[in-house]
Amino acid sequence: MKQDFVRKIEGYDEIVRERAICRKYGLDYSTEGGKIRSFINRLHPPRLMLRVSDVIDETPSSKTLRLVSPEGYLPPFQAGKYISIIADIGPIRTSRPYSISSPPNQRGYYDITIRNRENGFVAPHLLNRIKAGNRIEASAPSGGFCFNPLIHDRASVFIAGGSGITPFMSMIREVVECGIDRTICLFYGNRSDADVIFHDELLRISQRFRQVTYVPVIETPSPGYTGARGYITGDIIKGVVGQTGGRTYYLCGPPAMYDFCLPELEGLSIPRHKIRREVYGPPPDITRSPGWPSHIGRDAAFTVGIRGRGEIGARAGESLLNSLERSGIVVPALCRSGECSMCRVKLISGRVFQPAGVLLRKSDRQFGYIHSCAAYPLEDLEIMF
Amino acid sequence: MATEYDVVVIGAGNAGLTAAATLARKGARVIMLERHNIPGGCATSFCRGRFEFEVSLHQLSGMGTPEFPGPLQGLLQGLGVRDKLEFVRMEDLYRVMVPGRLDLVLPADKGGVIGALQGRFPAERENIGRFFDLVYRFFSEVISAFYMKDPEVTPEKYPLYFKYAFRDAQSVLDAHFTDPLLKLAVGIYWCYMGLPPRLLAFGDLAAILFAYIELKPCHIKGGSQTLSNAIVDSFIGNGGHVRFNCGAEKIIVRDGAVRGVVTEHGDQITTRYVLSNASPITTFLELIGRDDCPAVALDELKGASYSTSFFTIFAGLRCEPEAVGIAEATNFICAQTDFDRDFALTRTLDCDESAFIMSCYDVSDPGFSPPGACQCAIVAMKYAEPWLQVPPERYAAEKYRCAEAILRRVEAHFPGFREQIEEIEIATPLTHLRYLAQPGGSPYGFEQHVKDSSFFRSPKPPLKGLYCAGAWYGQPGYQPTLASGVAAARAILREMKAQEVKP
Ligand SMILES: Cc1cc2nc3c(=O)[nH]c(=O)nc-3n(C[C@H](O)[C@H](O)[C@H](O)COP(=O)(O)OP(=O)(O)OC[C@H]3O[C@@H](n4cnc5c(N)ncnc54)[C@H](O)[C@@H]3O)c2cc1C
Ligand code: FES
Repeated sequence: MKQDFVRKIEGYDEIVRERAICRKYGLDYSTEGGKIRSFINRLHPPRLMLRVSDVIDETPSSKTLRLVSPEGYLPPFQAGKYISIIADIGPIRTSRPYSISSPPNQRGYYDITIRNRENGFVAPHLLNRIKAGNRIEASAPSGGFCFNPLIHDRASVFIAGGSGITPFMSMIREVVECGIDRTICLFYGNRSDADVIFHDELLRISQRFRQVTYVPVIETPSPGYTGARGYITGDIIKGVVGQTGGRTYYLCGPPAMYDFCLPELEGLSIPRHKIRREVYGPPPDITRSPGWPSHIGRDAAFTVGIRGRGEIGARAGESLLNSLERSGIVVPALCRSGECSMCRVKLISGRVFQPAGVLLRKSDRQFGYIHSCAAYPLEDLEIMF
Repeated sequence: MATEYDVVVIGAGNAGLTAAATLARKGARVIMLERHNIPGGCATSFCRGRFEFEVSLHQLSGMGTPEFPGPLQGLLQGLGVRDKLEFVRMEDLYRVMVPGRLDLVLPADKGGVIGALQGRFPAERENIGRFFDLVYRFFSEVISAFYMKDPEVTPEKYPLYFKYAFRDAQSVLDAHFTDPLLKLAVGIYWCYMGLPPRLLAFGDLAAILFAYIELKPCHIKGGSQTLSNAIVDSFIGNGGHVRFNCGAEKIIVRDGAVRGVVTEHGDQITTRYVLSNASPITTFLELIGRDDCPAVALDELKGASYSTSFFTIFAGLRCEPEAVGIAEATNFICAQTDFDRDFALTRTLDCDESAFIMSCYDVSDPGFSPPGACQCAIVAMKYAEPWLQVPPERYAAEKYRCAEAILRRVEAHFPGFREQIEEIEIATPLTHLRYLAQPGGSPYGFEQHVKDSSFFRSPKPPLKGLYCAGAWYGQPGYQPTLASGVAAARAILREMKAQEVKP
């Protein structure tokens, strides 16, 4: 008891008695240690150590990796979430987000479905090197591209491009397997009919369940193809859904698809708040983004000083995060799309290009923080993290 | 990275931040470790679409006015961050509503509060005057005795203090007022303390009323993340090192004294001083470990209980606040007048009847959200316990069900609200548990009973070199936690100095 005066405050004796009782009968906290961590680990473990149980060929350019947990426990997730897969390729440790394509009601495994990418780095590694039985490290399910019953309409329009079908696959499977009261109209764009992932399953589902409509749209179809062709246009959408109001529109696919489809939706007078889009990684060539300074080429080389840890080389056309990883420096990352702030670093000097849509907090901007996955050097830099 | 520091600060919440910045400014070599990728703990924000949602700051106390600067002014000045921040004063304390029975706005000045209450409750005109007279006289005693550091605090000099400091607030409300609606309107700030007036000391309720009325509630431009970032900036500017995504794994103890810290990545840091902003459960049982933890540290916790957590809806609206009838930055919405009933409901999942707070920052700071938009944080106090019982498969559905119930009630007061929502995010007590790693998901720490207050706790650190600061070790809220970090840093500096002069 610190000071004498406290004893003279009315009610003091009673409180002292209460404390004595607590000392005697109060909760013994000595067993509370570790409880929070073990609880959180069941919901959001920092890492998942997974095993590939099956590799399923989907199309000539894509495969599904079925991932199980050796301890048998996988955290629950909402359809539309992704996991970030850690890849050790040679001396480089990097990661890539992949949406889970299996439905959340199925907790025995997570499926991720990967399509090969031209000049890809991690995708070819996962597709060519990973075999059943291999171990894979991943993050817990993350992201916010999920159906939200509070503000989304029960009637949804899904617009997918290429591998962007994966979160929708999880949602569609959940809706039909769990008998959820929603209707879905899926427009699924691909270059050729051979590229269409999950075609047979989608066809089967749409024939069997009236609540799901499936419209493949093929850019350059093979002879004999009778479905919709070209890109997913406003006309195609309107032609199928008719009434465009009272629906929520979800987009997932490569940046080029957003560039095309968003104006199309605008043309149908779909209000902006009815359109949800998944982030889907950086564009293939950042130097073509609006606002890129034209005098700086993709291969312009710069030096990045990392306070207290030396220097690395970086190219303008590559995200700072990639350059760091290339030099063997591991920066925590999750979405690699500028959204989650996991890869946040402080920019002490130098200029970077940050594409539109990076979710940077106002005060991070004020105090010079950047998301390294969505920041491209335009000159020599000094950073700190 | 150096492996030897004067001080390791564990956790970059309000208290960890001010402690680290204070130490670095005094020339100590300090490293701060934070599990998350961003500083602030509760004092943070997150982005969804075009909105940056404020996580926890509703009404900042302690800034004062140019004529009557509050203690927080000096504190921020001392850290070198005052000039990097802009504050927005709120004109009113709050609007308090009970459907069909009460709808009252209390302005943030003494005459205004008394006038508004007397206007609505004319029969209790005198009672209202007497009550605020007591609050003010009580608090001026507190100021003379403690802020002015009177060396001789006696019942003769400070009769009200000695009579009322430990008295429960409910009995004082009951002694002054008859109308339950009036008691509600005056006592509703209990929500900021997490205990109903029956369990709350009158001294605490008086302090909060006095502080908000006299020093004015305010908000920080850019939100609480700006404050956190500014303090980190000052810390780094003074040579401090900070590691994000890097939790502390262990505090190394030898011969009853702190010797170092091991990070989650296995790096070992040598130090004689640790300042922990993490909860006592984490600090004593996980970082130090049962074997090295002095029994007295655990004894001190006995009888304390985790405070309430929150169920929060963050809603981004695609309209200005007026468009849906939001005219006040702070709104308390109750279904009934019984504080104890409201408190009982904090132990349930259901939100059909729970009291909740709706803050709309854009009312006092129109630039807070993007042009033509605004955001609301709708918060109900909820203990973590029932949420811990929800089976994993039911969690998402339960979250939406509770949010639905609150949104229905919001809609009744602010017609058209629902239709304007563009982004929405829900945080449950489990979300707090996850982001803050706090037992009970409790940003307030332990329940604020007098018996667990600093009056009765031993001020001595249980281990040589270990210092603690934050809501778990004192009072919750921005002003108290920011101050507790500075106080702990000063204690460390004093101890360092004492060690220096020793031969
Ligand atoms: C202090 C604080 C800091 C924040 N910081 C960030 C930030 O840095 N970045 C950010 O993007 N957002 C942040 N937020 C907002 C937060 O992300 C959202 O409120 C959160 O995403 C809620 O959605 P969730 O369901 O994924 O998370 P949670 O509410 O934490 O739950 C996550 C998942 O756990 C599972 N789960 C939870 N409880 C149970 C249970 N009882 N049984 C089984 N499964 C369960 C569910 O499957 C659920 O998907 C913060 C919020 C707070 C309060
Ligand atoms: S990894 Fe998510 S913002 Fe960079």
